[in-house]
Amino acid sequence: MSAAETLLPLAVLAPLGAAALLALLAHWLPARSGDCLAIVTSIAVAILCGWIADHALHGAIPHWFGGWTPASSHRSDVVLGIGFLADPASAAVACFCAFLFAMSFLFAWGYFDEVHSHFHVLMLLFLAAMIGFCLTHDLFNLFVWFELMSVAAFALTAYPLGQSSLEGAFNFTVTNAIASFLMLLGVGLLYARFGTMDISLMGREIGRAGSDPVVLAGFCLLAAALLTKAAILPFHMWLADAHAVAPSPVSVIFSGAMVSLGLFGLAKLIVQLFAGSQAVVAVVHGPLLWLGAATAILGGLMAWSQRHLKRLLAFSTISHLGIMLIGVATLQATGIAGLLLYLLGHGLVKGALFMVAGILLARHNSIDEIALYGKGRPLWPAGLAMVAGGVMLGGLPYGLLHSATHLIDGQVPGEAASAAMIVSGALTGAAVLRSALRIFFGWSGAPGPERAAPTEREHEMPDRPMILMMLPCLILTALALAPASLATPFITRAAPRLLDPFGSGAVALPTAGGVSASLATLAITLALTLLALLRHRPTSSGGRAIARVERAPLAAIDALHSGLLPDYVTWGTVGLALLASCAAAFGFT
Amino acid sequence: MTLLPWLVTAWLFGIGIYGIVTSRDYVHIIGSLSVCQSSTYVLLLSIGFRWHSGPPIFYEHPPGTASVDPVVHALVLTDIVVGAAVTALLLVIALQVHKRCGTTDPQQLRPLRHTK
Repeated sequence: MSAAETLLPLAVLAPLGAAALLALLAHWLPARSGDCLAIVTSIAVAILCGWIADHALHGAIPHWFGGWTPASSHRSDVVLGIGFLADPASAAVACFCAFLFAMSFLFAWGYFDEVHSHFHVLMLLFLAAMIGFCLTHDLFNLFVWFELMSVAAFALTAYPLGQSSLEGAFNFTVTNAIASFLMLLGVGLLYARFGTMDISLMGREIGRAGSDPVVLAGFCLLAAALLTKAAILPFHMWLADAHAVAPSPVSVIFSGAMVSLGLFGLAKLIVQLFAGSQAVVAVVHGPLLWLGAATAILGGLMAWSQRHLKRLLAFSTISHLGIMLIGVATLQATGIAGLLLYLLGHGLVKGALFMVAGILLARHNSIDEIALYGKGRPLWPAGLAMVAGGVMLGGLPYGLLHSATHLIDGQVPGEAASAAMIVSGALTGAAVLRSALRIFFGWSGAPGPERAAPTEREHEMPDRPMILMMLPCLILTALALAPASLATPFITRAAPRLLDPFGSGAVALPTAGGVSASLATLAITLALTLLALLRHRPTSSGGRAIARVERAPLAAIDALHSGLLPDYVTWGTVGLALLASCAAAFGFT
Repeated sequence: MTLLPWLVTAWLFGIGIYGIVTSRDYVHIIGSLSVCQSSTYVLLLSIGFRWHSGPPIFYEHPPGTASVDPVVHALVLTDIVVGAAVTALLLVIALQVHKRCGTTDPQQLRPLRHTK
């Protein structure tokens, strides 16, 4: 075994071990040791995963636990062991998750002083689960990491023990627990049909079985579970509640890594497990693509009509997940390369924006765009980061997000999905830009539809070192502004190896371009922002009529996001039925 | 294998979801969620079941004796452990919600939408 093969499980064991150590010694160690150990561990894991990703370019790196390699069963169609398999893309995503955790720990310095190291224990557990989810190559093992990730996330959401955070955590827990039952049912069905849990072996068997009804049912259940985690319409309702009420350092991870990891897992299962099934490919190319486009638009509209900053960012995350789903639905190496780049760019931008929200919560005990009007002026570096984030979301023709959007856009069939990407980018970008200019630069305009949106007074631990809050926020923003050419040499080789872990070669990415689409998005973004900031209170009867017409559709979709758990579960059931009927329609015709 | 375990699985899952959707109490929702979860136990156990075979313990039997599939038993055990963790967490949340709001009716508990 090579060094990389031996060290692969360490990426999961290190955070797990550090979590256990902290849980054991928290009461005896000095106050800041939890912060230090967590930061050191996550940086070490990021370096390890980065090194593994680099090695995996020369061939995927397997690790069979207990030495139960496929050869040890002496039969080609039986795999007894449980394995990790690190392809470059998966290891790179794990590396990014660990890096984001390090930044979040730095940001949270001193936040959780009263509770010893419980926060760090949960976060390290969360990190271990995410890395296991990226690296595993066994279907049931994937479910276990999925579940561990969920449980850690549930507890972290409920952490502030406020009224909203408890209710948000309850909705989050029930919807995601149902998702994990669906996943387990799907895993059970596929195991019943193929008698193995190994993803490569099962993928080959599915290729032979073709459009078997059990394969379709298994796909629907797994997809519904992962789409719930990835908050895709109509499974998305829980996300806005959970992200808006979780502590800011946790929201950074939720929005930057957890939900996009759900989508990454879905992409991986589709290309490695179900690529041989014609019916599943048809479902992914058709309905899933449109679901992505619809999610992007709906998330954008909802983000535009919010005033609670974290809720606004949560809906913008939903919108961007829609765009990422469009990238998955292309099923091309170029589209997957776009997805990877988008995951990176979006994680950096959204992490920085949630940190800005956290800074405001710590300094001003509020997160309401209208209540905070002009109060952010002394915190102008955070304001600059927020403006930069808004402009990047809204189509700045430079940086990671621009290149990623261009890659996905090039693979999308038809104009409608491209138009959806432009509109949703503009809506989310303009929403962020509008709040940034109001809070940090004192530009105003009468509040439009956002005035009626839900909001609440909140506060987070004050008196934390400002430099340690500002630093990670600015680092993430600077990285998101890096030219994409730094990442492309890796991504061109990683994308085809995600489609086939044992493959080789590199995908030729289209050269720089797509500036016109980005400029169109940016123009709409700036127009919408100006419209919001120059708006007057309608006094004439005509003006009031226009305002009513504007408000009615936004109020209608806002009413659908009722905050009621029964509604969320009903929508999830509708989504599952929709998915099943699409699969049946494509499978039996 | 007969059709019965599949029907029981679908029934349990459906009735659990129905319970959650129509519930007016957090604790009732948690109970319904457990009903939902038990559908996964039924499915997994029925997948591993073989007629006329014993438990997967080969102490007094020669290797190769027909037995039920031990893999799904391991899966069910994992599932039960996870389910216990989630249920415990939900009950704690329900308790805290009751302490703060004096009610556990989801219709009156909506994050960020409390009227002052």
